[in-house]
Amino acid sequence: MIEKGKISAYQMGILMFPTILATALLFVPSITAQHAERDLWLSPIWASSIGFFIVYIVYQLNKLYPEMSIIEYSTHIIGRIPGKLIGLVYIVFYLHVNGIVIREYGEFVVSSSLITTPLVILLGSMVLVCAFAVRGGVEVLGRCAQIFMPGVTLLFLLLIVLLIPDLHSNNMFPMMEHGLKPSILGSIVPQGWLSEFMLTSFLFPFLSDREKGMKWGMISVVAVMLLMVLTNFAILFLFGGITGDLVYPVMTAAKYISLAGFFEHLESIVMAIWVASAFVKISVFYYVIVLGTAQWLNLSDYRPLVLPIGFILLLFSLWAAPNLQELTHFLGTSSTFYFVSVQVGIPLLLLSITLVKGEKK
Amino acid sequence: MKWAAILGITVILVLMAMYEWPKMDKKMKKEKSAFVAITIIGWLLAMLLVFFPDMPGPTQLVDAIYKPLGKLLEK
Repeated sequence: MIEKGKISAYQMGILMFPTILATALLFVPSITAQHAERDLWLSPIWASSIGFFIVYIVYQLNKLYPEMSIIEYSTHIIGRIPGKLIGLVYIVFYLHVNGIVIREYGEFVVSSSLITTPLVILLGSMVLVCAFAVRGGVEVLGRCAQIFMPGVTLLFLLLIVLLIPDLHSNNMFPMMEHGLKPSILGSIVPQGWLSEFMLTSFLFPFLSDREKGMKWGMISVVAVMLLMVLTNFAILFLFGGITGDLVYPVMTAAKYISLAGFFEHLESIVMAIWVASAFVKISVFYYVIVLGTAQWLNLSDYRPLVLPIGFILLLFSLWAAPNLQELTHFLGTSSTFYFVSVQVGIPLLLLSITLVKGEKK
Repeated sequence: MKWAAILGITVILVLMAMYEWPKMDKKMKKEKSAFVAITIIGWLLAMLLVFFPDMPGPTQLVDAIYKPLGKLLEK
């Protein structure tokens, strides 16, 4: 195997947690609110079903091919050339998605704190930092997540606790005024984010305790769902009907905090949360691209590819969208169908092919 | 200005190759060719983006494919 490191199932769970939440906390609440309005707290619950589903599919596929990632077993399942094509689809897909993630990071930092810094410098420095983490391998990523995530989660909960005096729970009534439809429509976009649990397919082969993999994957989905519900509650109680018009509701909420006249300007906390979790998120995607490319080309080592692929990632992040408005529009409309069809459709297809083949034998 | 960008990109890629090349074993022919190929792809893409910054990207392609479904969520 290319990667010699091992991580525990618990580390995989904690690694996936920021991988979903980093951008989901910033962009998704307002996109959900545009459809679900007062029921936006329900949407992550519907959306989490796709997370459970994909973890289950990936686990079943991994049981059949324990030492391989999807790039390798797709050639075993449907033959060499179609399998390689699927591998290429995944590599280009993750290059594109990671380009979008890096761009979101850069746009957020430029618009909120480093206003005069050129975008490309921010993007390039982030890619470079992540490149060093990726060179270290999967163990380094696991440790990074273990160090950052407890702090990040605590800070985030602290933000919500500080907002409690300003929260008005009557904003959530009347509940389900128009039935379940708005909340289900609002759950489509979070579904795209939760389908990123597909990345566990690349991490499963490195687990030291694989039988616990499914359990920790599921726990990770539950944790992501709970934090999204909590965020949506806090934002709904704070802003009520205007949530859908804000670009970064969590950031606006943090600016809102004012305790006893001196505890103000807490947006730097959001920035700290965001940079730390975006670092983990970008590194995981980056690692998957590099590892996937090395597996696709049957190389013996993935480290030489880290820097050149980082350069292509930087280009993709600049190329992904001309500006933030178009990017948010894309994320709010067609992106979900793209994410779900690649990250859930293809594994489901592969699993059903193996089941049919198995019955023939 | 464009020539400066091209020069800068080329310098970055050369520095990258100088950092990475000595670390690779002599036997690792496949890795070396993969490294060269990916670097060249990166350089070509960078050149395209320098000369045609408004070139439609992957996002527009995906948007065109999934437009009928995306319209469901249009507001």
